[in-house]
Amino acid sequence: MKRLIIVRLAWTFAILLGVSFIAFILMRALPGDFVLAAAGTTSVSAEALDGMRAELGLDRPVLEQYLVWLGNALQGDFGASFVTHAPVLQELAPRFFVTLQLSLVAIVMALLIGGVTGLASARLRGRVDWLVRAINGVSLAVPNFVIATLIVLLAGLYFPQLVVFGYTPFAVDPLKSFGNLLLPGLALGLAVSVTISENTRAAVLEVSNQDFVMVARAKGLKRSTVLFQYLLRNAATPIITVAGLQVATLLGGSILVETIFAIPGMGQYLFDSITRRDYPVIQAIVLVAAGVVVLINMLVDIAYIRADARVRL
Amino acid sequence: MSAGTPLLSVRDLTARIATHHEIVEAVRGVSFDVAPGEAVGFVGESGCGKSVTARAIMRLAAEGTDVRLDGKILFKGRDLLTLSDREMGKMRGRQIAMVFQDPMTSLNPVMTVGAQIDDVLRRHTDLYGRAVRARSIELLDAVGVPDPARRADDHPHQFSGGQRQRILIAIAIACDPDLLIADEPTTALDVTVQAQILRLLMRLREERGMSLLLITHDFGVVAGMVEKVNVMYRGEIVETGDVDTLLSKPQHEYTKSLLAAVPRIRVAGAIS
Repeated sequence: MKRLIIVRLAWTFAILLGVSFIAFILMRALPGDFVLAAAGTTSVSAEALDGMRAELGLDRPVLEQYLVWLGNALQGDFGASFVTHAPVLQELAPRFFVTLQLSLVAIVMALLIGGVTGLASARLRGRVDWLVRAINGVSLAVPNFVIATLIVLLAGLYFPQLVVFGYTPFAVDPLKSFGNLLLPGLALGLAVSVTISENTRAAVLEVSNQDFVMVARAKGLKRSTVLFQYLLRNAATPIITVAGLQVATLLGGSILVETIFAIPGMGQYLFDSITRRDYPVIQAIVLVAAGVVVLINMLVDIAYIRADARVRL
Repeated sequence: MSAGTPLLSVRDLTARIATHHEIVEAVRGVSFDVAPGEAVGFVGESGCGKSVTARAIMRLAAEGTDVRLDGKILFKGRDLLTLSDREMGKMRGRQIAMVFQDPMTSLNPVMTVGAQIDDVLRRHTDLYGRAVRARSIELLDAVGVPDPARRADDHPHQFSGGQRQRILIAIAIACDPDLLIADEPTTALDVTVQAQILRLLMRLREERGMSLLLITHDFGVVAGMVEKVNVMYRGEIVETGDVDTLLSKPQHEYTKSLLAAVPRIRVAGAIS
C-alpha cells in the first residue's frame, strides 16, 4: 500500500507537470491576450498595449514564460491575478471549496438516483427496466446546461418561494448552504446518474447470475442480506470505478451549472478568467482540477483493495 | 415421526420453465420418497431434469427464470409448495441444505469463508457473538480444512477447488439439516479429490443421520454411496430400484445405455 501511494504520487507530479505545460501553451495559442481583453473596445495605442505586455512579462517567448511560472509554482507561488492583483491561491481557495461542496452534492445525488434506478432496473426487470432505460436515454442525450436552465425555469414558475439562485456560504449556515446546492447538484449530477444507473444495472445483472447468489439463497438468508452482502458488495467495484471517472465530468460540468445558478465556485471563476484571459488564475485552476482527478483515481484504487481481497496493485 | 414415514415425499412433481418464446416441461410427474437417514441417488444425462428437481425441493430457480411447480413436495408431512416465502426461507439452510456443482464460483469472493459460515449460523441458530465463529471453525475442522482457526479469515481465492467444496459442505451442514441435497458435488473436481469429497459426504451422513439426495450423471459416483437410485430421462423417472439390483440388472433401455457409457478399465491384459 505504501509503495503504491509513493508510486502514484510520483505519477501525479508528472501528470500535473504535463497538464500545466499543455494548458499554458493552449491559453497563449488562443487569439487575443489579457491586454487586449482588458482594453476591450476602448482604443488604446499599440505602444501602450506593448508597454502593458512588457510589464506583465507577456512579451517574452512562451517557453521562457512557462519556465518562470513553473519556477515560482514549485516554490508555492502561483502569482497574482492580472485583474484583481490578489494572490491566485487566496482568490481560489474559497471558490474551490464551493465547487467541492457542489460536486459532493452532485455525486451523492447521482449515486442515489443512479444506484436506486439501476438496482430497480436489474431486480424488477420488465416494465421498470424499460422505463428506467428510456429515462436514462433521454437524460443522457440532454446536456446539463439545458437541464439546469429547465430546472431554473420550472422552479421559478411553479415554486416561486424557492430560492433557486445564489449560494449561502457554509460558514454562515451549513444547512442552508447545502440546501441551496440541491437544484444545481441535481442539474450537475443527472448526467452522471445515468452512467451510474446503467453500470449498476449491468453489474447487478451479472452478479445475479453468479452461483454464490444461488448458494446464499439456498442458505435461507434474508433477502436484505443477500442483496447487500452478496449482490451489492460484488457489484460495488465497477460502480466505484465509474463514479470515480465521472468526477472529471462533474468538474467540467460545474463551469456551466455554476454560471447558470450564479454560484461563486471554481467553474464560474474559470469561465470568467478565460473570458478575461487571466492566465495565472486559469493555470492554477487547471492544476487544481487535474490534481483532484488524479487524487480521486488514487482513492478509487485504494477502494478496490478495501472492497475486494483479490485485488493487489 | 413414526418409522417408515418418509422424510421427503415428492408426488407428481411437474416443473414448467417459461422462456421467451415457449414453456418447457423440464420435470414431468416425478414421484419418489426419501426415508430418514436414507441416501437416494438421481442419475441422468445433462438436461434430464435432475437439477431442476433438486432445486424444486429448495424452491430455488436460476435468476431471471420463471419456473412453475405443480404437485406435492411433502417434507415431514408439510407441503413445501404451500409455504410462504418467509417460511421457506426458514426451511432452507436449516432443515434442507444444498451443495452445488461448482465450488470455484459458489463462494462469495469478497467475504472471508468464516463469515460465509457465520451468516447461516446467525440466521438459523441462537448462537451469537464469538460463539458463532467458534462454531464455524469447528465446522471447518469437521469437513477437514487444515488449520481452521487461522484459515477462517481467508478469502475463497486462497483455497483449492476441493477445499472450497469442503467449505461449501461445512456451510450446508452448519445447522444440522435433516436432508442434504448434493447436486453434482464432484463434477468440477479432480478425480482424486472427487473420492475424498464423496467419502466426506458419506461420513457426515452417517455421523449426523442426515438423509442424502445425490444427483449425478455418473453411475460410478452413485455406486457405494446410496441405497436407492432413480434414473431420470427427459423429465421423467424411467427406472427406480436399489442400487445393486439396478447396476447388475438394469431393466430400462435407457439405463442400459447409460451404464454402457461408463468407461471401463480392463484389468486383464492391461499394460503391466
